[in-house]
Amino acid sequence: MYALLPRLLSNYGAIGYSMKGYINNKEVSFESGQTILEVARAHNKFIPTLCELADINHRPGTCRVCLVDVKRESESEHHILPSCMTPMEEGMAVLTRTTEVREKQRLQVEMLLADHNQDCATCIRHGNCELQDVAQFVGLQQTRYSFPEFYQNRSRDFSSPSIVRDMTKCIRCFRCVNICRKLQGVDALVCREDGLAIEISPRDNMPLAESGCISCGQCITVCPVGALAEKDEIEQALDYLYDPEIVTVVQFAPAVRVAVGEEFGFKLGENVEGKMIAAFRELGVDVILDTNFTADLVIMEEGSELLARLKDKDAVLPMFTSCCPGWVNFVEKYYPQMLDNLSTARSPQQCLGSMAKTYLAQKMDIDPARMRVISIMPCTAKKGEAGRDDFNHEGMRDVDMVLTTREFARLLKREGVDLASMEDDSFDNPWMSDYSGAGAIFGNSGGVMEAAVRTVHKVVTGNEIEDIEYTQVRGESSYRKATVDLGEGGKVNIAVIHTLKEARKLIEQIEAGRSDLHFIEVMACPGGCVCGGGQPVTKHSYQGNRGMRTSGLFSIDKKRKVRQSHNNPMIAEIYKSFLGEPLGDKSHHLLHTKYTNRQLKRTSHSMLEIWQEIDDKS
Amino acid sequence: MPIENITVGGCMAKVLYGVWDKTVFDNRHRQIFEIEEEERFSCFDEFDKGNPIRAFFGGHGFFVFEKSANLLSGLTQHMQRVAEESCGKCTPCRVGTQIIRRKLERLLEQSGTESDLDEIAELAEQVHTTSLCGLGQTAAIPLIEALTHFKEKIKEEMGQSAVKQPIYSYVSAPCIEACPSKVDVPKYIDFIRDGKFTHSMGVILQKYPMVATCGRVCVRFCEQACRRTQVDEAVGIKTLKRFVADHERGMIQDWFSAYTPAEKKDPALKVAVIGAGPAGISAAYQLLLKGYHVDMFEEKSVPGGMAATGIPEYRLPKQILKQEVSIIETLGGNIFYDKTLGKDISISSLMQEGYKAVFLGIGCHKGKSLSIPYEDAALEGYDYGVNFLLRLNRDYVDQGLPMAMGETVVVVGGGNVAMDCARSALRMEGVKEVHLVYRRSEEEMPADHEEIEAAHAEGVIFHPLTNPCRIVVEDGKIVGVELTRMKLGEIGRRGRRSVSSIDDSEFILSCDQIIPAIGQEVDTKTFAIDSDLEFSRWGTLQVDENLMTSRRGVFAGGDCVRGPATLIQAMEQGEKAARSIDDYLSLGRIRFQADERMGQLVAGVQPMMRDGVTIPVEHLYRVKVQELDPETRREIFEEVEKPISVDQAYKEANRCMRCYRVYSAITER
Repeated sequence: MYALLPRLLSNYGAIGYSMKGYINNKEVSFESGQTILEVARAHNKFIPTLCELADINHRPGTCRVCLVDVKRESESEHHILPSCMTPMEEGMAVLTRTTEVREKQRLQVEMLLADHNQDCATCIRHGNCELQDVAQFVGLQQTRYSFPEFYQNRSRDFSSPSIVRDMTKCIRCFRCVNICRKLQGVDALVCREDGLAIEISPRDNMPLAESGCISCGQCITVCPVGALAEKDEIEQALDYLYDPEIVTVVQFAPAVRVAVGEEFGFKLGENVEGKMIAAFRELGVDVILDTNFTADLVIMEEGSELLARLKDKDAVLPMFTSCCPGWVNFVEKYYPQMLDNLSTARSPQQCLGSMAKTYLAQKMDIDPARMRVISIMPCTAKKGEAGRDDFNHEGMRDVDMVLTTREFARLLKREGVDLASMEDDSFDNPWMSDYSGAGAIFGNSGGVMEAAVRTVHKVVTGNEIEDIEYTQVRGESSYRKATVDLGEGGKVNIAVIHTLKEARKLIEQIEAGRSDLHFIEVMACPGGCVCGGGQPVTKHSYQGNRGMRTSGLFSIDKKRKVRQSHNNPMIAEIYKSFLGEPLGDKSHHLLHTKYTNRQLKRTSHSMLEIWQEIDDKS
Repeated sequence: MPIENITVGGCMAKVLYGVWDKTVFDNRHRQIFEIEEEERFSCFDEFDKGNPIRAFFGGHGFFVFEKSANLLSGLTQHMQRVAEESCGKCTPCRVGTQIIRRKLERLLEQSGTESDLDEIAELAEQVHTTSLCGLGQTAAIPLIEALTHFKEKIKEEMGQSAVKQPIYSYVSAPCIEACPSKVDVPKYIDFIRDGKFTHSMGVILQKYPMVATCGRVCVRFCEQACRRTQVDEAVGIKTLKRFVADHERGMIQDWFSAYTPAEKKDPALKVAVIGAGPAGISAAYQLLLKGYHVDMFEEKSVPGGMAATGIPEYRLPKQILKQEVSIIETLGGNIFYDKTLGKDISISSLMQEGYKAVFLGIGCHKGKSLSIPYEDAALEGYDYGVNFLLRLNRDYVDQGLPMAMGETVVVVGGGNVAMDCARSALRMEGVKEVHLVYRRSEEEMPADHEEIEAAHAEGVIFHPLTNPCRIVVEDGKIVGVELTRMKLGEIGRRGRRSVSSIDDSEFILSCDQIIPAIGQEVDTKTFAIDSDLEFSRWGTLQVDENLMTSRRGVFAGGDCVRGPATLIQAMEQGEKAARSIDDYLSLGRIRFQADERMGQLVAGVQPMMRDGVTIPVEHLYRVKVQELDPETRREIFEEVEKPISVDQAYKEANRCMRCYRVYSAITER
């Protein structure tokens, strides 16, 4: 009976009844269950924090910077406590700026720095670093403690084509672990060692490239410092750009144009496509193409594949989209039994690469061996995708290199090109640069599906769909379902998924036979490519810019004259003069691919090894 | 040798100076013989025989017992150990303890200034006030107290270079101390939190092999000791243990098939383990890990002992147990079934066959009778609780043989066995009512709270404060039991209220089956051949502190030593006996166990510790284990408690406050 009492009280508390307390001697009201930090923020009282990330409800309490002075109503004693983990109580008096609080916060950051590789000027996050910020917030003016042996032996992992782990900079905020485990459901990261040696590592201490990581890069977007970052390939890009023998071909993904502006002071979500084109010209790029064009092309191929599968009694269904390389990696590593459910259509990035080095080379009379295709992508996994075995043609890679949006912004800065001062310019390539509104929304979760619906409806019924903005698949929910009525063509059940945790749930439903879906769009990153792992990071927030980036893409679609992939005149031309028809021989060869079972073997450890590891720890 | 170490009578350690829980002791101005002996320090006299404790450091302060003990060196050594123990997750403990230890080492070797001491004090205060878990929060307290109250002593000792003092450090937590097996609970919970389930299993497997079993039926001394109860509810330690065991199910082959012990043992050193219950399995497992040849002899045709026959299927599926016990064979041990001690084998015959040591883990299987008129074990419908469960598990569940039941069943007793009998009876065909008779009040029932609640939920009818006084027999058949009402009296010497019958309160409860489940004893018939073994006055086997019986080379543990007790206690004794047998066979003497001694010291300072949670902590409620609904489970023997998900496990693991404390004892040698 009595054991139930606290639970009842807490339930009572959970409905959130109002309480009063004090912050810096001012009365504040709050709801039971709120932490001191939450109450302080609600009342505009700033407390420096580092590990905490409210957007993902992440409060591991490890950095211990957000200290405040706390006095409970019934006690005379003061406590110095972390505000992120301490519940605000009725009558509690909190002081955020006492001398002692400031001193303790300062010492904490000083200790964090003692354990951090402070090679700041060379760091990828220099000037955009939460640790630098917090050192400024607490007024740290010198660091007394310098023990390189504290961090020197921690690992630096360059094995992955997408992501670099530099644990000498890790501050153990565990945000990456949380994102990978709770949001993505991939759970590739664990911590190993203890004390000063503690670091976040792929399971079984595998190099990242061989680990369960699917390269989505969401961990980078939450890393407060430079411990996790994209693999920087700007030097390679410069080599290409300044080599007169090379014909540089640039493509950029839909989501890049609504995000890169953030790095140059544009409004959130502003489409800077015209300025990007101008900047490419400034950089000396020879051919400027748009990945949106091949997004339209993918719709033609993927839509046709879906219809073919729907007609074929023996075909594998549901069919999954395959544009997202993080998702493809996930299926190959965790659900290889579902490989046949993936559409065989290559992603827009890869379709562009292969078309550039065949169709375009032919049209423009350029030797493909002299061409270098550089992609600007919102994605870290695209770097790995471009290197896949299947994606080269006669010994040449279809896409020679991939820069993330962040690297592109850095490249511009290194070259002294200020995007903000560029005049808008437009595409001039007559073969592979035009796009429909459908191609433009590929960067939003649900966009591929919406684009597919527009085209499939026309192909099956002969009529354009009436509600061109197919809002049933728009929205923020990580699982959205709809049924498309194709008249005599029957009804098609579709779904849109983002985050791999949601994908895992759905796959398990499918495997249990509890799904009636035919076609499913999956994007690994929440919100789709607009919040990809290669997009500009926002300090102390996760996905804060998602809404504006998303609407940025939708408004591009709205303004396009042509809004269906099949109505893109350059698409008509490429089929007429080169490919023939969707799913034809050439398409099969150049625009489709196959997948490989890359399931991780459960590393078998003898208990003796495990025991040695455990005992080493103590 | 310093004068204070000469043993005069029952010598007790005398605190020369120190601070404990804010109380400052300073007897330095007095001659050592002038200091009063205090009972509370009696545990500190010596560490092991002839090895006095010179100073002691813990999470609440420190004591120095000898003038010659070097405080600064002791603090440095203690902080070195603390720094090694830091898990590294929070900043102050990870970095602060390392800076402190370096600063202390410098002070000791090269001396320092007042400002160095101030800096150390500032760092120590930071570690103490701002660390995330119990380890960091308490680790620097001895240092802080020493710098506050005995700074001049530290100054004297600066630059004197390290006088290396023998030190023994011990890391523990209330849950660990409460666990008979001293399983490192926070550590295996940490590994769950870190997503390393195999490592979590590894921590438990260092102690005993029956993890899935323990994760289902343990009585959880740890959860009673859990400091989280002061915040909201105890961490679901048992639930987490079951979670990892289930998650890692089927890995035994992978983990152990290629196992090679660190040291190869003489193949002639064969050990016989009699009884394949929790004590025997644990002993055999530990001996196999150490490299001995082990043969087990089991009276029944299945392994598991009471875990197999005394625990119903709905709490511990046989399949789980079987899989777990297979570890013995994987490690190269043999189990010979249907071998009864005193009939098929004897200790003497085994010794003649070449076994050099014997472990007896034969349990305590004879039911205790009610000692009331008309009681007759041969009566139809009369069955001791243990026998009832045995027949039920072996004959009915395992082999599907029919089992005659009455319509109205009366179970007598208030322990877990009684609950198991009552809840099992409910599940049997033909049973209409199950009554539970217990002489004390329901609050005093020794059974697990959850078991009692489940019995209620499933429809067992409780009769607390009633006691059987006669069995009513008609035509050689049980037709009822006469009960007398009881009343509670004063609290007796053992802290329990006495009970006595209320005059003229007798009444008859009609029934056709009676199951007394009020306790068990060792069956002495087992030792008809080996009659030289001594018994205690409770009818259990007499053993010394190393679990050796009165016969050299013969060890015993579990219920046959302790009387009917718990799984975890039996497993602990099995593990301890294995250690003793190893020492006995390899060294000829049984070694001092420093950890065990440190545990005693920790228990010794316990009454002097205020260990309350004094700061506001967020309420995070305990994972709710899903159960089959009571209506369904009355009908079937399927496991009642459902497993928790990985997400739930992460969440639950996150509730652990890691109440680690580091203790160090500086000794003479």
